[in-house]
Amino acid sequence: MSASSSKLSASRGLSILPALFRTSVGQKLLTALTGVALVGFIVMHLLGNLTLLAPDAGPFNLYAHKLDSLGPLKILAEVGLVALFGLHILNGILLKLDHKRARPVSYGYAPKSKGGPSYSNASSRNMIVSGSILLFFLILHIVQFRFGPSLSEGYTTLLDGGVEARDLHRLIVETFSNPAMVAIYVGTTLFLGSHVRHGFWSMFQSLGLMKQSRSRALYAAGLVVGLVLAVGFLALPIVLYFRSQGV
Amino acid sequence: MKLNLEIWRQKNPKTQGEFKKYSLDDVSPNMSFLEMLDHLNEKLIRDGIEPVEFDSDCREGICGSCGVIINGQAHGPKVGVATCQLYMRHFEDGATVVVEPWRAKAFPVVKDLVVNRSAYDRIIQAGGYVSTKTGGHPDANAILVPKQDADKAFEYATCIGCGACAAACPNASASLFTAAKISHLSLMPQGQPEKDARVVNMVNQMDMEGFGNCSNIGECSAACPKQIPLEAIASMKSDYIKASLK
Amino acid sequence: MNLDSKSPSGPLEQKWSKHKGEVKIVNPANKRHHRIIVVGTGLAGASAAASLGELGYEVHSFCIHESGRRAHSIAAQGGINAAKNYSNDGDSVYRLFYDTIKGGDFRSREANVHRLAEVSVNIIDQCAAQGVPFAREYSGELANRSFGGTQVSRTFYARGQTGQQLLLGAYQAMMRQVNEGRVKLFARREMLDLVMINGKARGIITRNLETGAIERHSADAVVLATGGYGRIFYLSTNAMNSNCTAIFRAYKRGAAFANPCFTQIHPTCIPVSGGYQSKLTLMSESLRNDGRVWVPKKKEDCKKNPNDIADEDRDYYLERRYPSFGNLVPRDVASRAAKQVCDEGRGVGESGLAVYLDFRDAIKRDGEPKVREKYGNLFDMYHEITDENPYQVPMRIYPAVHYTMGGLWVDYNLMTTIPGLHAVGEANFSDHGANRLGASALMQGLADGYFVLPYTIGHYIASTKLDKVTTDAPEFAAAEADVRAQIDGLMKIGSKGKKTVDEFYREVGTMMWDNVGMSRTTKGLEETIKNFQKLRAEFYENVRIPGESGEFNKQLEMAGRVADFLELGELMARDALERNESCGGHFREEMQTDEGEAKRDDDQFCHVSAWEYKGRETAPVLHKEKLSFESIHLAQRSYK
Repeated sequence: MSASSSKLSASRGLSILPALFRTSVGQKLLTALTGVALVGFIVMHLLGNLTLLAPDAGPFNLYAHKLDSLGPLKILAEVGLVALFGLHILNGILLKLDHKRARPVSYGYAPKSKGGPSYSNASSRNMIVSGSILLFFLILHIVQFRFGPSLSEGYTTLLDGGVEARDLHRLIVETFSNPAMVAIYVGTTLFLGSHVRHGFWSMFQSLGLMKQSRSRALYAAGLVVGLVLAVGFLALPIVLYFRSQGV
Repeated sequence: MKLNLEIWRQKNPKTQGEFKKYSLDDVSPNMSFLEMLDHLNEKLIRDGIEPVEFDSDCREGICGSCGVIINGQAHGPKVGVATCQLYMRHFEDGATVVVEPWRAKAFPVVKDLVVNRSAYDRIIQAGGYVSTKTGGHPDANAILVPKQDADKAFEYATCIGCGACAAACPNASASLFTAAKISHLSLMPQGQPEKDARVVNMVNQMDMEGFGNCSNIGECSAACPKQIPLEAIASMKSDYIKASLK
Repeated sequence: MNLDSKSPSGPLEQKWSKHKGEVKIVNPANKRHHRIIVVGTGLAGASAAASLGELGYEVHSFCIHESGRRAHSIAAQGGINAAKNYSNDGDSVYRLFYDTIKGGDFRSREANVHRLAEVSVNIIDQCAAQGVPFAREYSGELANRSFGGTQVSRTFYARGQTGQQLLLGAYQAMMRQVNEGRVKLFARREMLDLVMINGKARGIITRNLETGAIERHSADAVVLATGGYGRIFYLSTNAMNSNCTAIFRAYKRGAAFANPCFTQIHPTCIPVSGGYQSKLTLMSESLRNDGRVWVPKKKEDCKKNPNDIADEDRDYYLERRYPSFGNLVPRDVASRAAKQVCDEGRGVGESGLAVYLDFRDAIKRDGEPKVREKYGNLFDMYHEITDENPYQVPMRIYPAVHYTMGGLWVDYNLMTTIPGLHAVGEANFSDHGANRLGASALMQGLADGYFVLPYTIGHYIASTKLDKVTTDAPEFAAAEADVRAQIDGLMKIGSKGKKTVDEFYREVGTMMWDNVGMSRTTKGLEETIKNFQKLRAEFYENVRIPGESGEFNKQLEMAGRVADFLELGELMARDALERNESCGGHFREEMQTDEGEAKRDDDQFCHVSAWEYKGRETAPVLHKEKLSFESIHLAQRSYK
């Protein structure tokens, strides 16, 4: 009997997806694949945002304008991102519900890790928590900037060559002059780091690429990637805040 | 030594259970955990109380019958042993010890600390074997197996099917158990012809039994009395993905 | 009672192939109309169920555990013998046959043992084909090691977990048949009676251990693969659920019980450390490959740190007494020698009931990593139990009950004296005589289940007129009523009794170990018979059983088993008393040579003692199957 002739049991996960993604292995495969893509996006996002560190608003607004003028490509990218985030998040929620179903009566004594080969830690056990926080942040972030004040509200700037563009830089600078906003952004980046810390290693395991000999090193690498992303994103609001205070 | 016990008591699968408190003041540090429970039971029987039911058989860590959660840890605090190999010297005098059964939808409680783990049998039944007949085989040395493969396969094959992996998993996933058998057979030349069907059928059976999903936390491997490495799960996933794409 | 061994005629080495050619075969299309009950899922039971299912029979498999994989075969550590001669050290089927007969002190049936040696080679091929991860050499070929009682290296192994790997192989083969719908599993069932119709075994009565329900199961043939009865000693290396109930209830229905007193006391177990102890842990015989057994020469050194005792003050008594086999003498010889040095007051450890098994020289010679690779899991197990590191201080070991060579009498076809009732593996008596060699239990269990029973049971079915029976037959109702009466009787006493099942059980164990253990005397045995009668009377008046019968109730299960042990103990003592000779594991103090070795009496006792049940308080009747040796010369066993 070949594998293709044996039926896949489409028992869990998103029912619109191909059969593979509705099995336990496939569900995590989907999480891993979307996770890789999302980390890729976040890295690009961070690199682009580093233009905010330039002494004037020019480079950042130019970068933003370039992205804005991609036309259909931009829409495609946005739809793609929504799909990626949507799949990653929905799948994650369904996984969590599955876990609840798999253990209807929970332990009376809070479970304690036995250490050793376990990667049970605050990051790994709270992916749904860090993920949920990131989701709320994501909504806030999009509302603030993607759908925030634009040309019609007077946020205009002239780029080199006289092109009129949205002054996103000003919006950002204004936003981060508010200490509460800085605190929200800094806080969220810590959860991003935590999410990526476990997610990075987990991805290798879910894709079936893990070798025991590399396991510890990759977990450590996950921490580094998480930290780099966190520090990168955390630096921006802080720098901008202190600039607004004239430091 | 003295011990304060809080033990899950549940008369049968249909009734609600609850923790009951007992104390013992003459526990020897050289007793195994199960001998301590035997000792408690003798006392309970004499006091007219029904003894605590728990599964155990070989009492040397190989049959996989025993297994309880002790203070939040599957098979207790010691790494690499089953409950029967845990000795009371690892507890402090006067300690409070909370004992619970494995908890998973796929492991319904039978009574007190006894659970039904037949789901594991059904996972094996779905394909955890080489479909070979009795007799008619070539000489055993006609099939060479590189030593490192045989050793690694053996490491996976040492799984005792106790259920600690699913019990310790925050998601009640049976991935380590399932992966151990799949990885054992997929390392052996004898396991090759059915490799794809095996992984697909066993994983599907695991899903159908109502176990949770592996989120790569690794507590299973830490709780495993045989310390089966997490790599087994990665190997199972790789096999599964490849088989599904064929 | 007819004890016809049905050994085929002709030269020894041709008997089995001749017999295979002569047995009747069931038509493949008819096999599915025949149901076979297999009780037990250890090596013998699982391999039998798998093979019979694959042949096409409808197999109903019963196990006392929640899963077939938990049977106690799983705990066998060291290995499995096979006459493969992969080591090119002169092994052959004949040599394995001879070693087994000699190791069993010439008290087993030649034809059976030769067949066992013949099929041993097929077992290894079978297990390798199943993907059992045996230890390998760097060439990719199978590795071997040596075991006691032999001078060749013929033991195949998987680190210290050979039994586990072989059992999982057989269990998986059985689960495959479950998947195919040919084997139906009944887990957590205890067989409590055998049902006979028209003199043939036609079914069993079981108790569902989860619900307490009493159930009837009918079949055309019944196979008992329920293991040995070593747990009668309370402390043994056997598992908590190992018991004699299935074979004992069959004995009560008319199956002869053969050589009940032949018990194997394994020389290398971790010594008893306290009264609360529930079982003993074996340290594999394979350790004697590299470990050296010794005690101090002087009594006053016994409490010293063993590492401080100089070589010249150590008595490597096995190497001294048996220079050609050294530390690898058979188990009975090694156990007795350990008892002797401890009786002399040279035992070590707190109780003085232990000897050293020392790896100092092996570690010095091969290095710790090499020793760890071979025995790591055993050393860890020892360390955990005793809190002592065997890499640094010698292990302390002492003999403990491990295996029972006796069991239900079976003929060459593995059928008991009840037509249709078969017994395989440790449950029968057939192949090991008065002492079993290491790594031979796994061999026998798998030989019976894979390669012998599938042929012989077909012969029974094909050559017997089997009327259709259902569980509505009056015999089923009667057997069920008997079982209910016994359980209700126990519960009635149990609700008022004062003494726990375990207290009775420990008394049974102490009586057995003291008087029917490593050495036996007329006086001790006679007293034991009387004491069992007394203890039994007390049991039926004062045993305490909590709970109810219609639920999961381990105390009730144990009470039923202890009730059987209370009768079996007496039977074992009677058998030991009657056999006024020393042979293998059976050592009568009155019968020893000047050097303290076992003294056989071939004129009077070259037979199998098969006992027929006559009632709980009535003495059983002895029948004898004369053992005749065609190709072996009976000799006094010597390992010097």
